[in-house]
Amino acid sequence: MIICKNLVLGYDEPITPKFNLMIDDNQWIGIIGKNGAGKSTFMKTILGNLAPNSGELQILGNQPGKLNHLISYIPQEREINLSDKMSGLNLILSSYRGQCWGLALYSKQLKQRAAELIELVGATTYAHQAFNTLSGGQKKRIYLAQALINQPRLLLLDEPLADLDPHAKQHFIEALQQIHRYQQLGLFIISHDMHEIASHLDAFIHFSGNGVHFCETIECVKEDTYVGI
Amino acid sequence: MWAYEFMQNALLSGLIVATICGVVSVFVVLRRTAFAAHALGHMSLTGAAGAALLGISGLIGQLLLNAVAAVAMGLMGEKVKKNDLAIGVVLTFVLGLGAYFLFLFQNNYAGSVMSILFGNIFAVSHAQLIQLTALAVLILLTMLIISRPLIFASIDPVVASSKNVPLRFLSVIFFLVLAVTVSMACQVVGALLVFVLLIIPGAIGMQWGRTITTTIIISAISANLAIIIALYISYAFDLPASFCITMLLCVGYFVGLLKKLAKRT
Repeated sequence: MIICKNLVLGYDEPITPKFNLMIDDNQWIGIIGKNGAGKSTFMKTILGNLAPNSGELQILGNQPGKLNHLISYIPQEREINLSDKMSGLNLILSSYRGQCWGLALYSKQLKQRAAELIELVGATTYAHQAFNTLSGGQKKRIYLAQALINQPRLLLLDEPLADLDPHAKQHFIEALQQIHRYQQLGLFIISHDMHEIASHLDAFIHFSGNGVHFCETIECVKEDTYVGI
Repeated sequence: MWAYEFMQNALLSGLIVATICGVVSVFVVLRRTAFAAHALGHMSLTGAAGAALLGISGLIGQLLLNAVAAVAMGLMGEKVKKNDLAIGVVLTFVLGLGAYFLFLFQNNYAGSVMSILFGNIFAVSHAQLIQLTALAVLILLTMLIISRPLIFASIDPVVASSKNVPLRFLSVIFFLVLAVTVSMACQVVGALLVFVLLIIPGAIGMQWGRTITTTIIISAISANLAIIIALYISYAFDLPASFCITMLLCVGYFVGLLKKLAKRT
């Protein structure tokens, strides 16, 4: 699914040392490391928004950016322009094949699929409410349903637990568990609260000054906690 | 009163412009590009004045100047919202040019200035009506083609960008649509009040619509109703049509605002 060969990430200057990785389909991967270690840069490079400094990166068998319709990205910060009347359902529907030209018509089947996803992430009670009135945690579960509407093969989450209170974090993690149970897709998650979701993940990528390491156990999470994230 | 040809032309041109403005203004409000729309409206003054100097149609002059400004604004992409100062400086420069063109254009000075600034819906000719219809068809077809990515990019630009939606290209196309809409609306309400038709119907739609589609429909209906009622009042009480359109739309907006305030208290 994702192959990194002698990959170096960075902008004008390299941020990471050279590294190699091979990650299988449908793996749930936690990405950890200190601020500025290259975690978000890795996601931008996967999306093709940023070219690698050097080396080769293959995403779903293609160059980065070629198959973005199969990748859903939930950024840490975003601007949502909905009126005070529009609901989270509007946001979800507007994302359906949003990259295609033509008239934005939403079929009954699509609305049914949106309803199923809303139920999956536990947002049924408020998906029809005005989006701007929802809490941060509720909005994030709507974002999850939005990310799944195009049936992605890979989901990228950048700090989804940031700014959430413990109660909202728990709800979000439960939504992720539901997705893991019922959807076939790979997931990359950046989080500074990795210890809270580590048990649901298959492996971890640790970005540090010493290199980029792949660990199948939680040990590197503990190491990262130890160095004081 | 609808038996007169000038009233029929006024009504038809008003309805065409109102429908287009109703659709486009939702995106102006959603994309928070009100100041850019305002600037395009005022630039129309220079376009029309320049055209009058050259002896060509005012609509052509407005279309040309607005198209150039629209491409420049569209290329700024998302930055257009944050570049109030740059747009303001360009607007001032272009308005200065417009003032100079009007100074040079001595022939029938007062009447022409009034017509450019405030429009004259009762003076729309049959030829102008055909031009407006052709431009309206062009805009509607363009909006049909770009509606899906435009809605996505307007609501959620960061995620749209991650899905390879061409934000900058869409921005240029949307500003070109806006430029044509401004040039059309200037024939009805003039360069000074064109902002009214580009903002308030969309704002009214946002107050009541629960989906993008219903918002656009409400926006278009409110603009059309304003035109029909304004033409009637204007004819019956001998008031300027652009004044009546402005007042009716403002009242419509304030009704929604009061309802919202009442609900809050």
